[in-house]
Amino acid sequence: MTARRGRRQEPPAGPAREATASGLRRHLPIALLLLAAATLGLAAVVSFSPPVPESRITNRPIEVHADGYVSSETCQACHPAEYDSWYGSFHRTMTQVATPDTVRADFDGVRVEDTHFEPMVLSRVGDEFWAEFDDPGWEGNESRPRIKRQVVMITGSHHQNIYWYATGHDRGLNILPAAYLLKEARWVPRSAVVLHPPGQSLAMLDGHWNAICIACHTTRGKTAFDTPYRSEPFDTQTIGTTVAEFGVGCESCHGPGQAHVEANRNPLRRYGLHLDPAEAGDPTIVLPTRLDPQRSSQVCGQCHSVWEFYDQAGERQANAAGLPYRPGDELRDTRFVAQPSVDRTSPAMTAFVQTDPDFVRGSFWPDGMIRVSGREYNGLLDSPCFREATHPDRTLSCFSCHEMHKPSDDARSVAEWADTHQVSTQGQGNQACLQCHEPMADQVTAHTRHGADSTGSRCYNCHMPYTSYGLLKTIRSHTVSSPSATESVALGRPNACNLCHLDKTVAWTADRLDEWYGTPAPPLDEDDRTVAAGPLWLLRGDAGLRAITAQAMGWGPAQDTSGTSWMTPHLAEALGDPYEAVRFIAARSLRSLPGNPSLSYDFVAPEAARAEVAVRLLQTWRADPRSRQRREPELLVDQEGLPRIDAMRRLFDQRDRRGVFLRE
Amino acid sequence: MNYTRRHLRLGWWSLLVFLLLGLGLELLHGFKVGLYLDVQNETRRLMWTLAHAHGALLGLVHIAFALSVPYLPKLATLNRARISWCLIGASVLLPGGFFTAGLAVYGGDPGLGIVLVPIGATSLLTAVFLAARASGSAETPDGTGGRRD
Repeated sequence: MTARRGRRQEPPAGPAREATASGLRRHLPIALLLLAAATLGLAAVVSFSPPVPESRITNRPIEVHADGYVSSETCQACHPAEYDSWYGSFHRTMTQVATPDTVRADFDGVRVEDTHFEPMVLSRVGDEFWAEFDDPGWEGNESRPRIKRQVVMITGSHHQNIYWYATGHDRGLNILPAAYLLKEARWVPRSAVVLHPPGQSLAMLDGHWNAICIACHTTRGKTAFDTPYRSEPFDTQTIGTTVAEFGVGCESCHGPGQAHVEANRNPLRRYGLHLDPAEAGDPTIVLPTRLDPQRSSQVCGQCHSVWEFYDQAGERQANAAGLPYRPGDELRDTRFVAQPSVDRTSPAMTAFVQTDPDFVRGSFWPDGMIRVSGREYNGLLDSPCFREATHPDRTLSCFSCHEMHKPSDDARSVAEWADTHQVSTQGQGNQACLQCHEPMADQVTAHTRHGADSTGSRCYNCHMPYTSYGLLKTIRSHTVSSPSATESVALGRPNACNLCHLDKTVAWTADRLDEWYGTPAPPLDEDDRTVAAGPLWLLRGDAGLRAITAQAMGWGPAQDTSGTSWMTPHLAEALGDPYEAVRFIAARSLRSLPGNPSLSYDFVAPEAARAEVAVRLLQTWRADPRSRQRREPELLVDQEGLPRIDAMRRLFDQRDRRGVFLRE
Repeated sequence: MNYTRRHLRLGWWSLLVFLLLGLGLELLHGFKVGLYLDVQNETRRLMWTLAHAHGALLGLVHIAFALSVPYLPKLATLNRARISWCLIGASVLLPGGFFTAGLAVYGGDPGLGIVLVPIGATSLLTAVFLAARASGSAETPDGTGGRRD
C-alpha cells in the first residue's frame, strides 16, 4: 500500500500514461488467466465431438423415448445398485449400436474366407465399420451382387456377436454372413453357429432384425413396416423401426417408468414409501419379485419362450405400437405360448405347424420338452414344481434360482455373476430345491445313492441335466424331471445318468433306476445293452444328440466319472461330422482332454484338412500306452484297448441322418 | 462474551475433527471398505464426503468470523450473538445432517438425517447475511477503515 501510494505521488511526468501502465500491470495476471481459460475452453469445444442425435440417424432403428418409457439411464439416479448389476448383465447388451466401444471383432482390413459365398472383406473408416460381401438378401435370378455396407448394430455379447448392416433402405437391417465367436476370437460363417442340416442355407432376409429380433433384443420395439413383413418386396416397404431402448432395459421387466419417475419426484412420497412399515410397495411400477410365481415367471417368459401371435391382427398391432404385453399382465392374453406337451393337437398349434412344420420339432423333444436354449419358460411350464404347485410360497419360478440384480452380500463380481447366468448363490446348490423339499435335506445320499460330495448328489445334475442346446453348447433342461432310460430309447434324449456315466450302457442305467426307484426299464435293443451310451449316441444319434454327447465328453464331472482315456477316438470321429456345430463342440471337448489343450483344428476348414487332424490325433492316441487303459467292450475297444472300427462303422451306418434344425 | 476467542477455538477444533473425518474416509478408500465404496453405498459415500467438506469449510468460516469481529465494531452485540449461534448451529446441523443421512440410505435417497441439512443451511445463510450486512461499516483496528490517505 505504501509503495503504491508512493508511486502515485511521483512527479506528474506523463501521469495519465503512468496510470495506464500501472493498471495494465495490475490486470495482466487476470488477463493471462482469462486467456488461458478461454484457450482451454476452446480446445475442449474443438476436440469434443458430440454423438449424432438419434433423431438424425436414418439408416438403422433408433431409440425414441415415448409411450411412458424413459430408459434405464433415468433409473440410475435412484437405484444405483440395481442399475450397476443390470449394466453388467448381458441383458443390457442384447443389442448395441456398433461403435468402437461395443465392437469386439477385428474389422481392420480383415478378410473372412469362410463365408458361404465369396470372402467377406471388413474395414474400419474412423469410427465406422464396413463390410463388403455377396448380398445375402438377394432374391433375384441374376448372380448375387457384391455389396459394401455399413455395420450398424450388434446382437449378443456373451458368446457371440452377430453383426447387422444397414441395407440402405430406410431403417432395414440384415445380418452379416459371418458371426464373431467371442471366446475363440474368430469370425465364422453365420451358418456354422446354428445347428442345421449341412447344405441347407439359412435365411438371411432383409429386415429380419426389424421384424423378428426386435421383440426380445430391445425394450419396447416397434417394427413399423407399412405393410406386413415380406408381404411386399422389401424395397417398396416403408420401415420406421424405433425402440424405447436397445437391449433389455429396466422397463422390459418393470414396465414403463414415466409415471413412477414423475410420482417420485416428490420426496415426501419417496420417504413415505421408504418408511412404510407394511412395505406395501410402489403401485406406479411393477416389481416382478412381488408378483405371484406365475406372473413373475411370465415376465421372463415374454422373451424366454417359444411364442407366436394369435393372428395377423395381433402382429399388425405389435408392428405399429409394440408388443402389448406389460409385466404383470397375463402373457397368454396377448400371445400364443407353445406347450406341445399339453396342446399339441389344439387348433392353434395345428395351424402353426401347418404353416411352419418345424414350429414344434425345431424347439421341442418329441414329448414336448423344450430342447433349445433361451426358451426356459417353456421348460418351467412343464415342471411339476411349477405346474402342480398349490401354494405361491412353494411354487417354482424363475426367481427361485435366478436374480436380476446381484445382492450386496453376494461376494461374486458383477461380471462373474452375469457369466453364471445370474443364478443366485442359493440357486447354485441343492438349497435351490431344498427350499421346498426340506425333508430331503437329511436323505440326500440315501435318495441319490451317490456320495454326499459326489456331483451325483447335486439335485440339478439328475433333474435338470444338460439336454438343451444353443449357442454351440448345451444348457440345463429347465423342465424339472426324473431320469429314465425310456427317454433315451423312445425319444432320443440323453438321460441324466448316462450324461455323466458316458462309459456305461443305457441298460446299466435302466437297471439302476429300476433297482433304486422302481422306474420300469423300457425294451432295449442289443446296442443299448452292449454299447456304452457315450459312443452309442455319438455314432448312432441324430445331430442334436451328437452335439449334446460331444459336449458331455468335455464336462468335468462326466470326465471324472467316466474317465477320459477312451474318448479320443470317438471325438476324433466327430471332427468329421457333417454338422459344423457338432464338429466345433467335439473339438472343444477334445481340447479339454489331457494332452490336447492346444489341438489345432478348424471346424470350418475343408474336409481333407479336418480329416488330417483327426488321423494325426488318432495316431498320437494309439502311440500312447496310457490311452489304452480301458478295455471294456462296451467302449468299442478290443482286448488291447484299440478301437473296434467294424463296430464303430456298423453303428455309424445306423446313424439317424434325419435333418435337425434347432431353432435357438 | 469474547467472540473472537470462541470462534477461533470452535474453528480450529472443528477443522481438526472434520479433517480427522476426512482421514477416516481416506482409510475407508485405502482399505476398500465395501460399506463405503460399494455401488449400493454410493449415497453414503456422497453424504459422508459432504459431511467432511461442510464441516471443514465451516471450521474455516468460524476462523474467518473470529478474525472479522474486530473489523466489525458497529455489529450490534445482539447480532454478534445471533451470528455466533447461527454459525454454531450450522456447524452441527450441516455436517451432522449429512453424516447421519449416510448411516442408513434408501438406494439413491439419503437417510432421514438429511432433514437437518436445510435447517443448518438456513442457519448458515442467516449468519452470513448478518455478517455481510455489518461488513458495510467495516473498520480496521486502527480506526481508518482501511482507507488510503
